[in-house]
Amino acid sequence: MNRWWLFLGVVLGVVLAGAGSGHAQVRGTIFGPDSRSYPVAIAPLKSLSTGAAGADIGTRFADIIGRDLTVAGYFKVLDRAAYLEKPDASGYTADTINFESWSVIGALALVKGAYTVEGDNLTLEARLFDVYQRKLLTGRRYHGPVAEVRRMANKFADEIMKQFTGDRGPFDSRLAFVSTRDSRLSEIYVTSIDEGDLQQLTKGQTVTKAPSWSPDSRSLLYTSFKRHNPDLYSIDLLSGRETVISQRQGLNLGGKYSPDGSLIALTVEDNGNSDIVLVDRTGKLVRRLTDNWAIDVSSSWSPDGKQIAFCSNRSGGPQIYVMSSGGGEAKRLTFTGTNNTSPAWSPKGDRIAYVSRLDGGFNLFTVKVDGSDVQQLTQGAGDNEDPSWSPDGRYIVFSSSRTGRRKLFVTDAAGATQVQLTHGGGDDTSPAWSRWLE
Amino acid sequence: MGKRLLGVVVVGLLFTFVGSGCSSSKKPGAGAGGGAGGVDETGLGSTGGSLDRTKKGLAPGDEGPLTDIHFGFDSYELDEPARTTLRDNGNWLKDHPKTKVEVEGHCDERGTVEFNLALGAKRAGAAKEYLVALGVAADRLTTISYGEELPLCHEHTEECWQKNRRAHFVVLGE
Repeated sequence: MNRWWLFLGVVLGVVLAGAGSGHAQVRGTIFGPDSRSYPVAIAPLKSLSTGAAGADIGTRFADIIGRDLTVAGYFKVLDRAAYLEKPDASGYTADTINFESWSVIGALALVKGAYTVEGDNLTLEARLFDVYQRKLLTGRRYHGPVAEVRRMANKFADEIMKQFTGDRGPFDSRLAFVSTRDSRLSEIYVTSIDEGDLQQLTKGQTVTKAPSWSPDSRSLLYTSFKRHNPDLYSIDLLSGRETVISQRQGLNLGGKYSPDGSLIALTVEDNGNSDIVLVDRTGKLVRRLTDNWAIDVSSSWSPDGKQIAFCSNRSGGPQIYVMSSGGGEAKRLTFTGTNNTSPAWSPKGDRIAYVSRLDGGFNLFTVKVDGSDVQQLTQGAGDNEDPSWSPDGRYIVFSSSRTGRRKLFVTDAAGATQVQLTHGGGDDTSPAWSRWLE
Repeated sequence: MGKRLLGVVVVGLLFTFVGSGCSSSKKPGAGAGGGAGGVDETGLGSTGGSLDRTKKGLAPGDEGPLTDIHFGFDSYELDEPARTTLRDNGNWLKDHPKTKVEVEGHCDERGTVEFNLALGAKRAGAAKEYLVALGVAADRLTTISYGEELPLCHEHTEECWQKNRRAHFVVLGE
């Protein structure tokens, strides 16, 4: 866990020291539990249009980036009220920015930019500066419909993360989850990570569970009781079109697309007993993977598609197992704790997140795929369940009862930064983080 | 189609109240006497399955003619009280040979949604299997698992969890 902090610190040190200035002072690790978070100022973008059309876009862009970087941890987004330089009365290039006015409020990094609105078209330019170096670190120009300002901001947040850590951030993506916020039963909702465009996806007015994304992030699989049986459905996000994939008698549960999208791992039932099978995209049986008397649920594919982690009580209490997606014997992965569930294979491939019940409480853990190096991510803050990895493999979204009703939180893979994502009424559970949008 | 079925169930409820004037005697073996007239009244006694009841804003468990059985945490084993109840339920089913019953498996809130749906299926399956072993025709019994989704009791206590870990029997009619 400490290695990663060190890595981030080193990368940032290189970024800062690379410019070779005595101003850039790195005290200890910049990113990490013992360090101050990296202070960044995000100025509202300057409007280059005449007239009032889209007057709030510059502020919205800054708000979304601020929210993303707060979720990321590691950054301290400086309060806008403290900014001395006014966006519409100042420049957004290295030679026109008054960097003194940013360093005096403690900013080490600065986001500035400008935009133009013509009809429904938005052209937006965003830039990231090193305040001490007085230097442009990266810049991006985006063009699209005005409604896409959120995606532009999420993409630029990912670019900021790349500048500081070497790896693209996870924010140009979507989150699906189950919520009881609007109904007695549960429906599936979709939102961007900044929670700014929450949308209710299903309106089945029944029990609706376990959403998971297609690899292209355009559709979701889920289980619904709308026809008086837990059937597997797919819904296309753009058209809202819903299709039945599997309606076998009994459970059609926990459908998960293989990484190439050609197969679906699914729990089905035979007279009360659950087993995992592979079906094709139309629900036709391809291969039976488990065949025993025990409960077998919660499939999670390895990123190369060769293996599947799942939860089984074949040895007594529920434990995590790994098997080949081609069939054959399953190997037990978890040996500490008597109740381990919800495996989630990291997109980096090296670790599996899961939930362990200890002393009556549920908490998040990760373990290497060889079963070694168990790490606990949550502790002493309600029940913490339903892990799902971010597309970059650095974060895990999960549900927690730490504030009362279950809400979604994000933690980094070491458990150091934990930020609440969703708010409002009802219980939010079973989050699924999509891949990057393309 | 679902709505039509609901309508039938609601009408059935009215018949039950009008016909017997009382619903307190609907316990195993104490049904309304096995269709002495043209209509088997007890077959219509159900007020619907737990999901339909929840949709209508009612508590999921109705006071049907058959009694719930309960389970230990993470278990689908039928203990002695459960087997005794199943024998009573089996006798009622033998006395009402035309009725069909849906066995619902339910769990407490602890554990994952998916594991609990699978556990509920095990519970419903175990109850069905026992009834079949007692001589009830398998084609009279269907099963469905609702996992932890339709709790009877909403507090986070062992007393409440115990009530929620159940198999519930819904009389579907003939």
